[in-house]
Amino acid sequence: MFSSPTPLERRGASRNLATTTLKSAGLIDRDERMRDANDKPGGRKGPSKKTGHRNRAMEMYKDAAAGSSRNALTLSFKMRLQFDISKLASRISTLVDPVSIRGAASRPTTIGRLRRSAIQTTTTRDSSSRMKAVDVWREFVHKRYNAEKRFLNLERIADDDILKKHNIIPPGVPGNTSSREMSVIFKLAASLKPEVQTISLANNNFSSGLYLSGLPHYLPNLSNLSLQNNGLKTWRDIEQFSPRRGKALNLREIVLIGNPIRDLEIKNGRKDFYRSEMTRRFPSLEVLDQEAVAKISFAVPLSTSSSVTMQPPLATAFSLPMAPSFITGVEGSIISNFLTRFFTLFDNQRTSLASAYLPTSTFSYSAVTSIPHRARAQRLHTSSALPNQRKLEWPPWLSNKAGGSRNLTRMGGVEQTINRLHIGGENIVKAMQALPATVHDVSGNPEKFCIDAWPVGLGETMLLFISVHGEFAEAPSMGVRSFDRSFILAPAPEGSTAKLDNWDVAILSDQLIVRAYSSYEAWAPGPLKVQSSGTESGPKILPPEMQAALRAIPEPKQTMVFAIIQRTGLNLKFAVECLEGNGWDVERAVANFESVKTDLTPDAFL
Amino acid sequence: MSALAKSDIDIATRGADQFIRLYYSAYDSKDRVESLPKFYRATSSLTWNGNPIQGLDGLKTLIEGMPSTKHDVQSFDCHPIPGTTPPSLLVTVSGNVVHGKQANDNPNATPVKGVDAQPRVFTQTFMLTPDPNAPGEEPMKPQVVYYVNADALRFVG
Repeated sequence: MFSSPTPLERRGASRNLATTTLKSAGLIDRDERMRDANDKPGGRKGPSKKTGHRNRAMEMYKDAAAGSSRNALTLSFKMRLQFDISKLASRISTLVDPVSIRGAASRPTTIGRLRRSAIQTTTTRDSSSRMKAVDVWREFVHKRYNAEKRFLNLERIADDDILKKHNIIPPGVPGNTSSREMSVIFKLAASLKPEVQTISLANNNFSSGLYLSGLPHYLPNLSNLSLQNNGLKTWRDIEQFSPRRGKALNLREIVLIGNPIRDLEIKNGRKDFYRSEMTRRFPSLEVLDQEAVAKISFAVPLSTSSSVTMQPPLATAFSLPMAPSFITGVEGSIISNFLTRFFTLFDNQRTSLASAYLPTSTFSYSAVTSIPHRARAQRLHTSSALPNQRKLEWPPWLSNKAGGSRNLTRMGGVEQTINRLHIGGENIVKAMQALPATVHDVSGNPEKFCIDAWPVGLGETMLLFISVHGEFAEAPSMGVRSFDRSFILAPAPEGSTAKLDNWDVAILSDQLIVRAYSSYEAWAPGPLKVQSSGTESGPKILPPEMQAALRAIPEPKQTMVFAIIQRTGLNLKFAVECLEGNGWDVERAVANFESVKTDLTPDAFL
Repeated sequence: MSALAKSDIDIATRGADQFIRLYYSAYDSKDRVESLPKFYRATSSLTWNGNPIQGLDGLKTLIEGMPSTKHDVQSFDCHPIPGTTPPSLLVTVSGNVVHGKQANDNPNATPVKGVDAQPRVFTQTFMLTPDPNAPGEEPMKPQVVYYVNADALRFVG
C-alpha cells in the first residue's frame, strides 16, 4: 500500500464527486448547515447558543500563500545558563556530594551526569595534564574533520598517532571502558563549523552502547552515523543513542554492519525483525545498513532551533473559549443514533457490534494509567462522591487474553504493535469481550459527553471523522473512568453486514483511549485560564529528594541556595550553578538570572 | 479492499511516531507560528476545543494568540484507514499540556497550588493523508509525504 503511491485525483474535482455521493447516501446535509446533536449523547439541550460564525462551518481556506512573515528580530538563543561551567564542575564537588545533587535534579538524566562527567574528565586531573588532554582531543577532532564534506572520521581511534604520542588510552580498548572520552569528543564535535553531518565510528571495538550515550545530547542534528565493525550486541546498546520519548532525532542513516546485534539476526533469518526494531527506535531513519527504509514523511523542515530562533510566545491568555460539541456537515441525528446504539451495545452485547465493522476495519485501545494533575488536585480519586474509584484496577486493561493496551509509547516490540491491532468485526468483538464490562450513561446528563465530528473527503470517498470524549462506569466495581474514542465512519456499503444490520454507517477505524478519571467540567463551555496567569506566588515547594539534597549543603550556602530557589523558581541544581557562577553573591545571582531567564529551558525550573 | 499487511502497520506506526515527535516539538518551539502550519494544507479542517479554525490563516492566528506550550505525550495510537491507498492514518494522542509556565512574560506568577495551576490533559485526533501534490523539496525521494487533513483537539482533564 505504502510502496505503491497512487496519485490521487486533484482534490477539487474528487471532493465534488464525493460530496455528491455522500449527499445521495444521506450522510451530508443538503444545505451543508451545521446541526446540533439535539439529543443524546453530547448534544446540549435547550436553545442553541451557537453564534453566527459557527454556522458557516469550515469554509475552505482560499490560499496558503499568504506572505510568510518570519520575524526579523531573532535572538541568539542560549540553551543553558551562561555560567562558567568548567569552573562550576570542580567547585560543585567540593560543595556537596555530587551524588546528592544528581538525585536532587527533578529528573536526573544520563545526559546530565555525562555532561558533568565529561567536564570532570578534563578538569579533575592536575592542571598541566588537564589542558593537555582537552587540547589533544581538540587537535584530534579537528584533524579528523573534513569540513567540506561535513564528515567527522572517527574510525580506528586507537591507532591515531596523536593519541599515541601523548600516551592517551582511547575509548574501546581494553582497560578503558569509560564513556567520558567519547562524550568529550562529541562535545568538541558539536562546536565544529560547519555543523557535522556525518560521523563514522567504524572499527573501534565498541562493545557497549554507553560510548554513544552522549551523542543525542551533543549532536542532535547528526544525519548519518556509521558504527560498522564494532561489538554492539543488544537493544540496550542501541537504546543508548536512540531518541528519548517525545524527543526528535534527525538520524537519517545508520550502518551497523559487522556488529553482533545485526549479524546474528541476519544469520538467524530475522532480518525483517531486526530492521523493524531498528526503525521503531529511530523513526527518522531513511537508510539502514545501506538499504532504504520504507517510510512516510512530513513536509516539515527539520529543526533548526539551535541556530535561528524566534521570539518566545508573548500571549498570556487564550484567544478562544472552550466551545461546546461541534458537529458540522452531517445530520446530527446520524451521529447521535450511531453513538447511542454503539455504546448501548458496547455495554450490553458486544458480540452484536461485529456487524458494524467491515472485514478490513481496525480497532485498538490504549490505557493511560497516571492520575491527571487536575484530578489529583481535586482529589477525585479519593472523593466520597466517587466511592468506587479505589476499587478500579488497571491490569485487565493493560494486558488480557486478546492482547492489551496498544499505547505506542510503551510497546515492547513490533510484534505487539501488530498483535494488538484487531482487524475485522469478529476479531474486534473478541478483543472487546476481553475488556472489563462498562456502563456508558448515554441517556443521562449530556454534559458528560463531548463530540467533534465532520465529514472529510479522501479521493472519491467521504468519511466521517468523529472524536468523542466522555466517561463510563466499570463493572463490577462501578468506579468511573474517562475515555476518548475516535472513529472513522463511512456510509454502510451495499451488501455489507452493517447495511444488513441497519447501520447507516460502517466503522472503518475505531481507537479508544481509557484514562484515569477527569471531571467532565474540563470541556464545560467558557473562558479558559492559563496555568500561570494567577498573580499569587506562594512559597515554592521542593520535592522531597530535593529537600534532602538541600539539607546536605552546609550553611551558610544552604540558606543562599534556598533564597535563590524562592526568588527565581530555579531548581536546586541550577540554583547552585547560578550561585557558583556569581561568587556566592545572592543579589548578583538574581541579577544574572534576570538577564538570562528567557533563554532557560524548562528543566532549569522546579 | 485487502487486509492490512504487517509492513503497512509497521510503516504507519513509525510514521505516527515521527509525526508526533516533530509535531509537538514544533508546537512547543518558539517558531511555532511558522513551523506548525507546515503540517497542514489549505484544505485541512480542524477544531480547537470545539472552535472551527478557518484555514492556515486561522491556525496562525490561533497559535499567535496562545501562550507558550509544553506537551508531554502519554500515549498515542495509529491505524492505517482501511480502503485508502496509500493509506491515510488515524492517529489519537493523549497527554499533558502546560500553558505559559515557562513564558518570560510572567515568571513570578506561577502559582503552585490550586486546580487551575495544574497541567491539563489533552486529547488530539488527527487524520494524516498523503499529499498528491507533494512539495518538491526532495522530489527524488520515494517517500510519501503526509499532511494533517483533519485535526480535533480538546482539553479533557
